[in-house]
Amino acid sequence: MTDFAIDVQHVVKRYADHVAVKDLSLQVPRGTVYGLLGPNGAGKTTTIRMILNIIAPDEGTIRVLGAPSNDARASDRIGYLPEERGLYKKMKVRAVLQFLGELRGMTRQAADLQIDYWLDRLSLKTPEKDWGQSKVDELSRGMQQKVQFISTLLHDPELVILDEPFSGLDPINAQALKDTVVELRKRGRTVIFSTHLMDNAERLCDSVCIIARGEKVLDGAVSAVKSAHGGKHIALALSSEARGGVTTVLSDTTLVTHVDDQNQFFELELARDATPQQLLERLVAAGAPITRFELVQPSLHQIFLRTVGAENVEEGMSGQG
Amino acid sequence: MVRAKLWAVIRREYLERVQTRWFLIGCLIGPLLITGVLFVPAWLTLRNLRADPANLIVIDATGAGLGNRLRASLDSAATPNAPNKVDVRVTPPAGIAAAESLATRAVVTKEVDGYVVLDASTLRGERARYAGRKATAVGDMRRLETALRQTSLSQRLEHANLNPALVDSLTRSRLVLESERLTEQGRGSDASRRANTPFAMAVAFLLYTCMVLYGQAVLRGVLEEKSTRVAEVVVSSVSPETLLAGKVLGVGAVGLTQQIIWVAATLYLSSFTAPVIARMVPSTGAGSMTPGAPTTMAMSMPDVHIGSLLLILLFFILGYGVYSSLYAAVGATVNSEQEAQQALAPILLLIVSSALFIQPAMLNPTSTLARVASMFPFSAPVIMPLRMSLVPIPPWEMAVSILGLVIALIAVILLAARIYRVGLLMYGKRPTLGEIARWVRQA
Repeated sequence: MTDFAIDVQHVVKRYADHVAVKDLSLQVPRGTVYGLLGPNGAGKTTTIRMILNIIAPDEGTIRVLGAPSNDARASDRIGYLPEERGLYKKMKVRAVLQFLGELRGMTRQAADLQIDYWLDRLSLKTPEKDWGQSKVDELSRGMQQKVQFISTLLHDPELVILDEPFSGLDPINAQALKDTVVELRKRGRTVIFSTHLMDNAERLCDSVCIIARGEKVLDGAVSAVKSAHGGKHIALALSSEARGGVTTVLSDTTLVTHVDDQNQFFELELARDATPQQLLERLVAAGAPITRFELVQPSLHQIFLRTVGAENVEEGMSGQG
Repeated sequence: MVRAKLWAVIRREYLERVQTRWFLIGCLIGPLLITGVLFVPAWLTLRNLRADPANLIVIDATGAGLGNRLRASLDSAATPNAPNKVDVRVTPPAGIAAAESLATRAVVTKEVDGYVVLDASTLRGERARYAGRKATAVGDMRRLETALRQTSLSQRLEHANLNPALVDSLTRSRLVLESERLTEQGRGSDASRRANTPFAMAVAFLLYTCMVLYGQAVLRGVLEEKSTRVAEVVVSSVSPETLLAGKVLGVGAVGLTQQIIWVAATLYLSSFTAPVIARMVPSTGAGSMTPGAPTTMAMSMPDVHIGSLLLILLFFILGYGVYSSLYAAVGATVNSEQEAQQALAPILLLIVSSALFIQPAMLNPTSTLARVASMFPFSAPVIMPLRMSLVPIPPWEMAVSILGLVIALIAVILLAARIYRVGLLMYGKRPTLGEIARWVRQA
């Protein structure tokens, strides 16, 4: 048996008026950072909730850490940071964390030790002020995010699931989150996060799965995905505005299928039958003032756009940054 | 392991509520309120029953000396340390109006409490008229009425040529009705039956209040978890059923704690109110008119057995379970307090209907209405303990009531758990009844 942290097989989830997830299969190898990418409404959160046994799939099977997802024992080995975050507002921070730790099968004593460690590490407990004794609603938003984050990792879970972890984070907390994800991976933990921010995914993930409209579009290791889509992407920089003949060349669809103006350079995608040499010849002939002409690997962002289709993405990408 | 998590949920629900300022305030105000509800009506009733020394004008237009007889009759019932002031004014029938206006002035200037008019119809044993300040004082009026009947009767007997001395000794009857409560369980005094009425009312009131208050507390707890989105983290660790059970049990434990404090504090306070009531009782008109009658009414301890208390506790637990599960289900379908108030309407209808049965069931605990209400699962938790405190309940009725409640509880829990499971993570538009029905079928 292959040992996946998560093994999702042919899962379907229907709601009254639409199908949220259609025949989705994916495997997350242990000890990797896995990105679940897709526009808003693609079915990421539904998939995550099914993995966590919060909702049940209508069809298909899900195994988590080697056990069926509805096995209650698995939940103690999972840490979960939901997209919509919240804590009991009137409770003291330490009491909230103790409670959530207990729900993950910790004893209060064990939880207390971890709470001390994390409060200290995220500077919520300093010689001047112990925020652990404050009520949650006395904390700033950034601090509440930290507390939420601690609650996810308190029980040192083998599998950490983060749903849109970067949305709404201030830069300091975002950095702390990235550092922690890297650290978790070094310690052999499995991290899954969903996002529609390709930059983050590209930097952090070993493997990704792109889904749209509840269906898997592609998945695999990031390097494999990139090389599968590589060899056709060219970074082109010009010393002055593209005009006249150059524009004509770039809009020739037998040569270039897609132009993405990145301001500093254009990211071009060659047509299937065209070669870089042909393009370079045509550009030189048109008198283009070339300062850079380079075969590049496509960014996940480009792959995402091409595979999901721009019309699917526009709405979902509004939060890009 | 599930049990450890259930404990964690119960513990949180309990501690977070018990530690609030509102819980403390509730514990202080509750007993004062209950004492007030029990003490004030009893005090008012007793004050009404007490007859003060008569201070009135008798306008005697009978021409047969009935006024003086009335005075003699009233005086014979008066105690020596509180003598009557009865001013008999004999007038011809034509002078009644003038005498009344004079008497009215005396009432207005507070020289006397009132006046009574005796005329030919009084002689015939038909009627007399009273006007004055004491018209609503039950004790005073009852004493006056008794004296008038006795006077008119002896006057008429004498008129029929009976020996006045004989008439006097025959009509001076001092009959006392001693009543005793007789039930399947044996004898209990009438006083204890009457003592049970405030007790029954207090029990019904307490049960009703607690079910509403703690049901609302459960609803707010569910709503808080939903609106702060903490629910999602929690249900990724424990099943919604465990969370629901923990919440209901935790809040229920808070309720029991509060009630124990309330009952204990009310009993403590009654050690102060009881002597006040007791002091009022011996001087009542009823007491002076019927010497030797039990004067301890309302003050004897209700004859409540430990078995009845356990039954009341059982009804509270079952009733609370039914209503709090319903409240929790409603809490899971709404997004805000305002929405909750609308969605609660059907449940409030059920619970308020049980409050509406309290009065009729108390007045006539063996009526068909009271019996049906005490066996209908949604009003049983309030009405059965009420009836039980007043009259003996046939075992089969008790069995039907408890069994019905248990079945209703199981059904409601299953229903609520399903609605709760789906609703907890649903945001946005409030679901229609049709959608809720689908949740129940799907989950």
